Amino acid sequence: MKTTITEKDGRVVLAVEGELDTDTCPQFKEDIQPLLDQAPKALEVDMQALEYISSKALRILISLQQAVVANKGAFKVTNVQPAVREVFDMTGLAASMIQD
Amino acid sequence: MFLSQILHKFELVKHNLTIRRGILLLLALFGVIIGGTIFFTARYARNTFVNGEYENAIEILTILGRQIEKNLNDNDKGISGDPFRFLQTAASVQKTQENFSFLIRDSQGIVLAPAFAAGKELPMTRVHWLTRDKGCCLAYVWEKECFVVFYPMPDRPLELVAVYDNDYMFEEVYHTLMLFAIVLSAIYLILVLLSWFWIIPALERTIDRKNKVENELNAARRLQLKAVTQDFPRAPWFDIHAELRAMREVGGDIYLCGMVGKKLSFVVGDVSDKGTTAAFMMFTISSYIRSRIQTGIPFDRLMEEVNSLICDNPEYEMFCTLFMGAIDPDTLEMEYCNAGHTRTLLNGAFLDQDPQLIAGIAPGYRFHTQKCRLQHGDRLLLYTDGVTEARDERRAFFGEERLRAWMAARPAGAGCREDCADLLDTLAAFRGKAPQNDDIAIMSIRIQ
Repeated sequence: MKTTITEKDGRVVLAVEGELDTDTCPQFKEDIQPLLDQAPKALEVDMQALEYISSKALRILISLQQAVVANKGAFKVTNVQPAVREVFDMTGLAASMIQD
Repeated sequence: MFLSQILHKFELVKHNLTIRRGILLLLALFGVIIGGTIFFTARYARNTFVNGEYENAIEILTILGRQIEKNLNDNDKGISGDPFRFLQTAASVQKTQENFSFLIRDSQGIVLAPAFAAGKELPMTRVHWLTRDKGCCLAYVWEKECFVVFYPMPDRPLELVAVYDNDYMFEEVYHTLMLFAIVLSAIYLILVLLSWFWIIPALERTIDRKNKVENELNAARRLQLKAVTQDFPRAPWFDIHAELRAMREVGGDIYLCGMVGKKLSFVVGDVSDKGTTAAFMMFTISSYIRSRIQTGIPFDRLMEEVNSLICDNPEYEMFCTLFMGAIDPDTLEMEYCNAGHTRTLLNGAFLDQDPQLIAGIAPGYRFHTQKCRLQHGDRLLLYTDGVTEARDERRAFFGEERLRAWMAARPAGAGCREDCADLLDTLAAFRGKAPQNDDIAIMSIRIQ
């Protein structure tokens, strides 16, 4: 699991690579802590290279979304791969998060 | 702590303080015995060695004695009054027989007094006393050479009675051994005292604390097992069984089942965390569902209540996936509501389940209930993601496909208890040496 945070004109892109499972969740949470502390006005989570996401990792995404929305910002998840898409569909999060 | 490891290794922690102290005393006694054995063995060996050396010396004496006597006689009769000259004589013999010193007595067997060589006191490295039947003698050893110094009495001719080994090697070894034995015993004694008064009581307190925490956790585990269904409902038209395997002592997975009216109701859920906090949440949710489900409330309403129950406790920072279902025995119609939970399997295929949000993230979210018609002989499998996300040693997932294949291969006549046991075995075999990485709950239902 690897995360990259880039910022351009106030738009923040969080790119996640590899697998987000029970083992890597704590690392992921640590990586995105700055975004939780200071929620950006626009956050895009790029899942182009994310191969797997466990439902546990969704908890962190949800808190991220809540932080951004609470700050009246825009949150979206993009480039979701089919295997990851399935988890979003199953948990009903696809509608509120994914923007194709 | 190292000592704690030792105590654990020898299972000393199982016994009480008195027994542990007793064992420690025995260990101390053992140490003292070892130390004492070294001490006395060294002493005995040294005495034997010295005595043996004495016997050897007697033989050498006959050769050297004659030589010295000859030297003495060759000089003059006045030797007895001139210690310095005698000293010279002895030293000259010494040169031919290195590493030996002499034991000399006068003819009366009286100990001869030490004197000064050429008016200068000799620096002594060792003084050996030997008491034999012939009397007491004194020898001085200076550096590696031997000098025997005394004032001979005028009327008593001198007699050389022994030659003594000057090699200190054995003496050194002996003294080292003695020191070693004493130090060993002393360290042992200190260790025993330390253990007795400090380490063992401290250890005792740590173990007490640990046991207390373990007891608490075991109590929590028993309580949690009570939170899930213990006595599975029985009726001729169905069979049901479920199993829970927490990753730690307690976990966040949950299952419930029971009769609501004539319907068989069942719930499987997963709180999004592990350990004690998840267990608290799981307990709260299961108690809530238990009490509410008996009222016959529709699942979509119940799900919304659970949703607000979790949303009202944001400090838990958790959410919960839930699958609720109920089967009518007359029509075999199943009502169900899935809040972001894993997809329930029906005869090895996935049940049609509309995507709905996980409970606990969106206050006021509207859930809806679905329906389907079951048939006699149908089998249902409910599970948490600990099953599909089980990983083997190469970190591959067990996955939905394997689970589907497993279910399709289950024999028609098997019982639900066997289904659960077989799935747990299959998962364990899949994992191999890899550890269980999540809580697992499974529920098997068969319509007869």
